[in-house]
Amino acid sequence: MASMFKPSMRIAESDICRQCLRLQTRRNLFSISTQNPKSEIRSRPLNASTAVQSSRTTQPSPRFAKSNARPFSSTHPSRAYKTVEEAKTRYKLGPFSWQAGALFLLAGAGLTIYFRYEKARMARARVAEANKGVGRPLVGGPFHLTDMHGREFTEKDLKGKYSLVYFGFTHCPDICPEELDKMAGMIDNVREKYGDVLKPVFISCDPARDTPEVMRRYLADFHKDILGMTGTWQEVKDVCRAYRVYFSTPPDVKPGQDYLVDHSIYFYLMDPEGDFVEAIGRNFTVDAASRVIGDHVADWKGRIEK
Amino acid sequence: MGWFSTTSPSTTSPEPSQDGGFIAPDRSARQQCWEGRDAFFQCLDRNNIVDSVKESDKAQKACAPELKAFEGACAESWVTYFKKRRVFEHQKEQTMKKLAAEGAQPLDPATAGSVNAAGAKGR
Repeated sequence: MASMFKPSMRIAESDICRQCLRLQTRRNLFSISTQNPKSEIRSRPLNASTAVQSSRTTQPSPRFAKSNARPFSSTHPSRAYKTVEEAKTRYKLGPFSWQAGALFLLAGAGLTIYFRYEKARMARARVAEANKGVGRPLVGGPFHLTDMHGREFTEKDLKGKYSLVYFGFTHCPDICPEELDKMAGMIDNVREKYGDVLKPVFISCDPARDTPEVMRRYLADFHKDILGMTGTWQEVKDVCRAYRVYFSTPPDVKPGQDYLVDHSIYFYLMDPEGDFVEAIGRNFTVDAASRVIGDHVADWKGRIEK
Repeated sequence: MGWFSTTSPSTTSPEPSQDGGFIAPDRSARQQCWEGRDAFFQCLDRNNIVDSVKESDKAQKACAPELKAFEGACAESWVTYFKKRRVFEHQKEQTMKKLAAEGAQPLDPATAGSVNAAGAKGR
């Protein structure tokens, strides 16, 4: 850009310079005639060249410093301009240059990105903090269940990693299978990016039909990492209450009876301390949900068991 | 595996597991059931029937083979559930259309109604 402008600038410069020379000559003539009329008029012939010299020597430029006598001061100015005009344009533009402009834009863009990132992080921290609460947790809490391998499982077993808790039942017509497929996608996405930081858990709301064996066979269809949980009717009712899950299973169903169970369809993300972080609804895509989980994992300052 | 064969009625109870539970339909069984459902619903669409529970006689008359296949592939509770859900989905669609005609703007589905949004706002 700058090089493109240069030739035209030169032309303009020389044109203006001629004008300013004339001006200078006139001024010199005038000043000379008023200040010391005699000596100067006689000792020096008055022509343009002397006028130029006298006017230019006031501008300490290296070119003239060489040909002419020494400049008045021995300290060189911080920036030497070739012509008066260059100095003038410099002065007009102030400290602006393309480097300064680039730096300005870069700094601006950088700060914008940083502030956006910080804002998103603060929002997440706020959600996590708000849900953490003080005293009794809003979502989550103590429970006692049996996992699909027949082992005891309590809220303590959720600690150490982030956990993704989903409630459902194996005889679920369409929503649970869809959501569990999404869960499998989230598990893979998070594992790929952050390693083994997530413990996915599926808690049955239908203990009468969902025994460990049924859970095992059912979950094998979705993801090997998902750990199925079941329990007695009372245990399941308690865990549903703790997680604020709507629980409608009747306590006395006949064996082999065909029924559906209403339940909430949220994924509950719990942090490595076992505290509720965020609920992820059905409207989230696998990628969006993975991002939510991943962002919380990345924010976590403490240790995550891998 | 009673409900996979189209001949057996849906009243057949599911397969019991060894530890006293009942085995749920697996992926292929679910797929089969959903296909039966979709075929039945396509038939209902062709005959302009929305609610196949209320208009069961009409549905039975117009789509008897599809209904039979549907009922054969899914548990009874699933059949009822899907029929009701169809009505619900239809009503939802109508409402959305009505709202769109009135110039309503849809919310961002990723954040609308999520706990995140509620949590961020409710302070």
